[in-house]
Amino acid sequence: MSKYYWWLLVAVFPVVALAQGLPGVVREGEYIQGTLGSIEQAAPAPAPGDSVYSVGAWPTYTPPLADGAGKDLVVGFCQVCHSTTYITMQPPLPAGAWDATVKKMINDFGAAIPEESARQITTYLQAHYAVGNRKQ
Amino acid sequence: MATSWVHRRDLLKWFGAGSAALVLGRVNPAGAQVSSQAAGPLPAFTGPEANPYWNGVNPFVTYPQKLPLLRLTDRGIQLETPRQYFDRAFTPNPAFYVRYHLELIPNSVDLGTWRLHLEGNFDKPMQLSFEDLVRNFPAVSIAAVNQCSGNSRSRFQPRVSGGQWGNGAMGNALWTGVRLADLLRNAGAKPGTVQFQFQGLERGLGPAGKGSQAFLKSLDVNDPVLNEAVVAYLMNGEPLPMLNGFPLRLVVPGIFSTYWIKHLTWIRALTQEDKNFWMDPAYRIPDTPKGNTTPADVAAGKVHFIPIGRVNMPVRSFVITPDGSGKLPVGLPVVVQGIAFSGDGPVTKVEVSADDGKTWALASLGEDHGPYSFRTWQYTWTPRAPGKYLLAVRATDAKGHVQSDEGVWNPGGYLWNTVERQDVIVGSTS
Repeated sequence: MSKYYWWLLVAVFPVVALAQGLPGVVREGEYIQGTLGSIEQAAPAPAPGDSVYSVGAWPTYTPPLADGAGKDLVVGFCQVCHSTTYITMQPPLPAGAWDATVKKMINDFGAAIPEESARQITTYLQAHYAVGNRKQ
Repeated sequence: MATSWVHRRDLLKWFGAGSAALVLGRVNPAGAQVSSQAAGPLPAFTGPEANPYWNGVNPFVTYPQKLPLLRLTDRGIQLETPRQYFDRAFTPNPAFYVRYHLELIPNSVDLGTWRLHLEGNFDKPMQLSFEDLVRNFPAVSIAAVNQCSGNSRSRFQPRVSGGQWGNGAMGNALWTGVRLADLLRNAGAKPGTVQFQFQGLERGLGPAGKGSQAFLKSLDVNDPVLNEAVVAYLMNGEPLPMLNGFPLRLVVPGIFSTYWIKHLTWIRALTQEDKNFWMDPAYRIPDTPKGNTTPADVAAGKVHFIPIGRVNMPVRSFVITPDGSGKLPVGLPVVVQGIAFSGDGPVTKVEVSADDGKTWALASLGEDHGPYSFRTWQYTWTPRAPGKYLLAVRATDAKGHVQSDEGVWNPGGYLWNTVERQDVIVGSTS
């Protein structure tokens, strides 16, 4: 639907030429296929008149992680309790901050990560999400 | 086609945050928003320098009962309110920010079986139904700002890990419900009670006794805020959205929202100080003026930390419009407007500067909704010459606290309240 609309607009472009004489107009009639994406509206959900109050499942919107050694361990261990948006949300952090974070997950939150896996997870985070190496 | 491309690039450069930093020769903490004319997205992250945008750089997403909000994380859920919803005193429920700590939160609650439990060191432990709360206790309403402890964390230098909020981890609502003090009096805390602990239906997959399994917060038995607190079943006159704590939320006016337990279901009278992870070491601030310290002092073990609930939220104010998304024609009045609030009693004064804080003028304040509410303000400014201007706003509260340009740093990323700025471009008209 939106695709057809776009081509219709292209077909109308010659109209731009007619606007050359409009007072003050520098540019006009420019359209571009949106690059920022669109967001669907949610439809209303039916609800019975009982005492149960419900909403649908919580959607997740998780971007991919950087490829590299240790990624599988991150996906396997970190995602047990939280999504990896907790990683991608961070600014580039000093290497020590990632070490401290992995230790906090194990010591304070009780994440059952074997020592060698924890070391590889820390190395992965320091290699892709630290100051100097984080990529847009 | 080539000319048009050059134009677009000029515009992007003119309006983009990058140019602001270049022109000013420094990173401007609440600087230019990217113009509505920009065709590309914001970067996926900011740093290691401070986030220059009003909000965090995260994408819009849709959740049940919510308008598109800015996603920080999606399991647990953290969603930021876009700047444009702060052009009024009360933040709409569908736009109100969301901050959870753990993964398991309710999708569906049966009010037929749900009960608020008052348990522990009470004379008369109680289980109250939703209907009990609504029918058997006087209803009270209070306008109060709910602000995440880490609001504006992405401003910190050096950056700290945690939720990378811009300024939108806050909202103001009219909360209606039952006075917490009425409930506590009915249950009657026994001698020896030192704290009241609050827990909601939020829980996690971690092992018992760890912060990853339960989210618990406690307030001291003699904390005066207990007399102000409300357990709210209405938010802006409507049932709470599930993501804001349906069916019941603890409202702790003036205090950061870490204590505003969502889906409140247990109130416990404790005979020993709560030492669970979310009280210690989490959500602690340096016991220093403004909670300020340095990475070096923290590393050297010189800093004494206290729970963030010991302090009221520091005074803050924000420019909401103009937001830098369009050029302002010279000679036309511009209504500069926004909100201000303080956890320390009402905002008494809001001042606006159009010259980066060199001179200040009084803004007029909007309707007073009480000491804990957002207060709208506005100031009409007429730029007399084209060019780039730095608008700034600062508020003063009843205790005489006034915002300054001095930043705050602590390892948790808490208590940010520096003067906010917005750069705007004034164009010629001839």
